[in-house]
Amino acid sequence: MAVKIIESCVNCFACEPVCPSHAIYEAKPHFLVDAKKCTECEGDFPVFQCASICPIEGAILDSFGLAINPPGSLTGIPPEKMAEAMAELQSH
Amino acid sequence: MQLPVLNDSPAHAEHGAKGGCAASSCGTTENQMDTLPDSIREKVQNHPCYSEDAHHYFARMHVAVAPACNIQCHYCNRKYDCANESRPGVVSELLTPDQAVKKTMAVAANIPQMTVLGIAGPGDPLANPERTFETFRRLSQEAPDIKLCVSTNGLALPDAVDELSKHNIDHVTITINCVDPEIGAKIYPWIFWKNKRIKGIKGAKILIEQQQKGLEMLIAKGILVKVNSVMIPGVNDQHLAEVSKVVKSKGAFLHNVMPLIAEAEHGTFYGVMGQRGPTPDELQDLQDSCSGDMNMMRHCRQCRADAVGMLGEDRGDEFTLDKIEDMEIDYAAAMEKRKVIHQAIQAEMDSKRLEKAEKAQQHKQEPKLTTRPVLMAVATSGQGVINLHFGHAKEFLIYEASPDGVRFISHRKADQYCGGDTTCGDGETTLQITIRALAGCEAVLCSKVGYEPWEQLEAAGIAPNGEHAMEPVEEAVLAVYKEMAAAGKLDAIPAAIRASA
Repeated sequence: MAVKIIESCVNCFACEPVCPSHAIYEAKPHFLVDAKKCTECEGDFPVFQCASICPIEGAILDSFGLAINPPGSLTGIPPEKMAEAMAELQSH
Repeated sequence: MQLPVLNDSPAHAEHGAKGGCAASSCGTTENQMDTLPDSIREKVQNHPCYSEDAHHYFARMHVAVAPACNIQCHYCNRKYDCANESRPGVVSELLTPDQAVKKTMAVAANIPQMTVLGIAGPGDPLANPERTFETFRRLSQEAPDIKLCVSTNGLALPDAVDELSKHNIDHVTITINCVDPEIGAKIYPWIFWKNKRIKGIKGAKILIEQQQKGLEMLIAKGILVKVNSVMIPGVNDQHLAEVSKVVKSKGAFLHNVMPLIAEAEHGTFYGVMGQRGPTPDELQDLQDSCSGDMNMMRHCRQCRADAVGMLGEDRGDEFTLDKIEDMEIDYAAAMEKRKVIHQAIQAEMDSKRLEKAEKAQQHKQEPKLTTRPVLMAVATSGQGVINLHFGHAKEFLIYEASPDGVRFISHRKADQYCGGDTTCGDGETTLQITIRALAGCEAVLCSKVGYEPWEQLEAAGIAPNGEHAMEPVEEAVLAVYKEMAAAGKLDAIPAAIRASA
């Protein structure tokens, strides 16, 4: 039972101090979660603290490997709109 | 790009002798600093970000020690690692407090006219209290001649005021885009507050309350507060006059309304969703409409969170981590040198201010013109004089000349079309972009203009003028205005100007 930080992490440090179990640490190329220490905030908070401050959609996965903050949920940018904009950019 | 003129002998004879009205307003009633009480003017007179006058002489730097943020803004993308973008929130190298102290001292020793160190991100400095305050704590001890300032979204501000007042920090900038939570919900999708992510109007309401509370607490402590607002057409543009009134009534001394920067390639909400930024005219109209209530700042360059140098330039490349590693800094010696240079700059500024007041007096006694106002672009690299080749200007300062005198309006970015070498690739296109950036201006004053741009400028209705090289900007603008009036050029309003108004 642990969350996981994946490669889309931008190393912004925001999650590290809010973790009640001190399970998050700075690493290269991005921050990581010590799975032995992570409690998924149980007993401390009703919601994942790291995923509640993380600004990057999809960067933190739950124990099922699902994005806690799915595309569009934080920025408000509809995923298809983002895909459109990025495709447009790459075509230039 | 080299920082011009000011090296070891700041009072260069050629400048010292010229004098005149260097910056801000010559022969006009509106000077950004004139309406400030002396106590505040004293504090900001060498702060390039707070004093329009000072930004021609003094440099600033930001250290990127604060990566974390506690809110999301629709104009920001937290994937901030980009070397080629110049806008707030973007940095190339994140620094530890230790590296930041080292970098600051290296810059202070090498760019002695650097007077101000700010922490502005790339996240929110107060959402990284340990890193931010460790940097301030050490700098206030080890480099006591540097002014420290901080910029914040305000969410964590009330909790930080006590700590802020302990250091050498007498200036704080709060970004306040609204005082209405419904408008706030269109700008801030969420905040992180008391262990929860709070979205929409509820989150915006808490943020606004914290900003206003923090503002009041800072004023009560005697700390100077500048308020930044991002102008977002159709979202808060109609609302910012109200914001200006509110923050002034609480004691903020300066309001800086900045244009939204939004491009799809930045990956921000506004960029991807096609939200446009304001035109220069829209920005100027809003700044003018707020200026009755509040001192407005018009010279902001919206710098990166790791910018180094004079406003509008970035010398960050000279002070990367590996480069400062090799620099040996004797700060005690640097501080002596800095002191001498700062005094010389101050003396030059004071004498120019005096001359400016005299010129203003003179101007008042002359018969008043009845001609229409004219916008002019100026190429300068600092010191308040026209000293830059048209093709070397990365930006132009825009001044308005009218029967009331001359006032600074804004700056406009231009791509350099001539790098001074032999390869001139797509030069012509870049020249056209520059000319487009000058839309609405009827003259451009610079030290020199090449033959090709001369023709194209004339064709675009912008009179190139290289006759006032090394003259104080505002005297030159006024002189050109009077020439235009005398030549009868100001009776009719050109179509090009009407279209952009």
